[in-house]
Amino acid sequence: MRKAVIAGSGAGASVMALTLAEAGWHVVLLEKGPNYFTGLGEHWPPKTVFSNDNLKANRCFEQPDPDAYPRTFRTSAGQKKGYYVGGVNELPVAVGGGTIHYGAAMPRFWDIDFKQHSMLGPVDGADVADWPFEYADLAPLYDHLERAIGVQGDMSAMPHDPVLKHAPRSRDYPMKSGPQKRASILVSGGARTLGLHPYPFPSAINSEPYNGRPQCNNCGFCNAYGCPTGARGSALDILHRALLTGRVELRPETMVHRVEMKGRRATGLRWVDQHGRRGVEHGDIVILAASGIESARLALMSRLPDPHHRIGKRLMFHYFTSGFGVFLDQRLHAYKSWGAETACMEDFADPDFLGARAFAKAQGLPYIRGGLCEMGGSEDVIPEAQFYQYILGAIQPQQPFGRAFKELMRTSLLRDRLMGIQMLGHDLPYLSNNVTLDPKVRDRHGFPVPRITYAPGKHENVAQEFYIPLITAVMLASGATAAAAVPANTPLMGAGGVIPATRHILGGMQMGTRANTSVVDEWGRMHHTDNVYVADGGVFATSGASNPTLTIMAVVLRMARRLAGTA
Amino acid sequence: MVDDPRVGEGFTRRRVLGTASLLPLAALLPELLAASRAEAAAGSPYRFFTSHQAAVIDAATRRIAPGPEDDLLEAGHPGAHECDVVRYIDTLLSAFDHRVPKLFAGGPWSNRHTKGVNHMKTFVKPDRAQAQAWRKRIKELQRTYRNGVTALDAHAKGDFTKASALQQDRILASSGIAAFTSLLFGHTIEGMYSNPEYGGNKGLAGWKEIGFPGDIQPRGYTTHELQAPEISIIDPTGIVAEVLASFPQIAQAYASGVWRG
Repeated sequence: MRKAVIAGSGAGASVMALTLAEAGWHVVLLEKGPNYFTGLGEHWPPKTVFSNDNLKANRCFEQPDPDAYPRTFRTSAGQKKGYYVGGVNELPVAVGGGTIHYGAAMPRFWDIDFKQHSMLGPVDGADVADWPFEYADLAPLYDHLERAIGVQGDMSAMPHDPVLKHAPRSRDYPMKSGPQKRASILVSGGARTLGLHPYPFPSAINSEPYNGRPQCNNCGFCNAYGCPTGARGSALDILHRALLTGRVELRPETMVHRVEMKGRRATGLRWVDQHGRRGVEHGDIVILAASGIESARLALMSRLPDPHHRIGKRLMFHYFTSGFGVFLDQRLHAYKSWGAETACMEDFADPDFLGARAFAKAQGLPYIRGGLCEMGGSEDVIPEAQFYQYILGAIQPQQPFGRAFKELMRTSLLRDRLMGIQMLGHDLPYLSNNVTLDPKVRDRHGFPVPRITYAPGKHENVAQEFYIPLITAVMLASGATAAAAVPANTPLMGAGGVIPATRHILGGMQMGTRANTSVVDEWGRMHHTDNVYVADGGVFATSGASNPTLTIMAVVLRMARRLAGTA
Repeated sequence: MVDDPRVGEGFTRRRVLGTASLLPLAALLPELLAASRAEAAAGSPYRFFTSHQAAVIDAATRRIAPGPEDDLLEAGHPGAHECDVVRYIDTLLSAFDHRVPKLFAGGPWSNRHTKGVNHMKTFVKPDRAQAQAWRKRIKELQRTYRNGVTALDAHAKGDFTKASALQQDRILASSGIAAFTSLLFGHTIEGMYSNPEYGGNKGLAGWKEIGFPGDIQPRGYTTHELQAPEISIIDPTGIVAEVLASFPQIAQAYASGVWRG
């Protein structure tokens, strides 16, 4: 029996494990974090200790505690000191990875995302590239995964231009769309009056019982919360099936810190567990699926062959542009919802959106792309209150507390009267945005932590400049009394740059056909090794302009079927 | 007699026996520590705070989020005291006094919307990494609170609780105390709006005050509740008007996340 050893247990790892196990492989998954799901691989859906609990989420219940697993951040390699140590764009460290608390948004990438260099052309200063395959190669895998995980959506409500034109579908979603919530209804209405094309957000959230899991009851503790009922589809759907084969072992609280190499061949993954026990899990192949940042870190810590210095390069996070609309005539109760937003809109991801080409040319760029807009989100109570604390410090420093705080909480401009738009802007790949090993800072086991170097480039800044007035216009057209759209990543008030927190971790282990300009080949194998594979968002050659989880799974499914000989 | 192999490697028998006999003791350690602290806090109904420390924190958090007893204009509006913010902070500072530290309330739901067991009351054991990080964090917080109370008393020339409301406000806003006030404000927020299993939000007063239902599983919301209009017209005055007046700047600060600290 062939054996694969995988670092990680999230979106990519789960798909790899199931596909290999179904083809008869023995698979061992080593997961750094704990398992919050009792009975996974035995009964379904598993029992969980996740709940409607804002505080627990803020206390790093599933996120890596920055004290145990810090990262460092700087905006450029030239920033020699004073950079930030703490949490930087982390995904959960727990069985199921990012999918245990993602918003479950499941849009597809577009044809131009996979052939960006040949279809849209190069951009000065950026490292734009094609993927080694195209949208049509992934389309059947998207279909398969939408059914395997359970995605709701409504093909008839999706606009041909630009969505279905760029991401054609041969069949509808396995579940119909659930009810739209109040804030999403209002913002979608506003967008339509401007000639835009919002539609129900494709989401891995049950609008009816599916996969043995219940229908979602709209509790609203969704994005950035573990699902208490199991109504959300995730990597667990895949992991459970993998465990049922009897050929998959899942070991939580076991951190991989080194790929053991003999020449070009990996012999296994070296690990340390919570109790300090150490060992090596040997296998015929090893798979890094710990997220773009952590897989690159692992490759760097293992000194895997990298003659062209590509490991860790081209990190892409998506730039987020946030729109805030405030209603003085009504409360929107955005917290009553399935998902964070029940509608989305992809018009601004289109490089040919009306006026975008001309604006780009005037700024010396061949094109600009915004991204998918999540329509109708809001904020949680505790962060809302924390923000009022902050603004009271700025507005009335002589008494930054007291009755004014309670007045703000009761009025709730920035939660219950708030209608948010979040645009997930397309990040171009830059060699200067990357992961390296921090020369000084160590994690709790004494290993060097990832140092993130990241700043938006000219494309991202120009695109925001173009789309900000449009986002503001959508909110005003929706009936908001006051509206403002702002870039989320502009340095502010002396801060050395805003710490990235988009949770979209792409690139770092880029896929490509040429060994001198990429890290892995089209099947996920690292070019200068015989049997080291990468199976997470790290392999993305471009960032797309929407939520990446479904694409991560589809790309990994393509690799896994080839490895398993079932392609 | 077969010697313990370790004895020959630099361990004396006394040391081996000593270590062995300490094992049951180590298991009791959290309870013992709690007991010794309880002795220090003798007569106090709290695990960490002495009666005086609790009174000072109560007085200070009443200024941060005043209730009906603290401000006439807040009649009918519970504040930090009514939410029992002191109990929340005390629970956090003594989290490791329990066999399973009171850091992560359990799930999948409480019994506020269903009959039966409140699963949130059974706390989830942190893993080693979490426990290590939180032990260190709470140790630092304990020191900060002890020093913070001492500093508040010193600024009040003896006893902070005896100072007038105006003096208390001045002290809390003064530059020497600002960092502690900011920490206290953050914990006041958590104590008012977190699930009551963490010790605060007494009688759900914090959530009721702002019209938030809180944890709603396994009930959830109906389609009608998702979509229903909720007309509520306000004519902004005071601080709300000020926030609206500088809305673009406020939005920028909000989006940047700098306020998350």
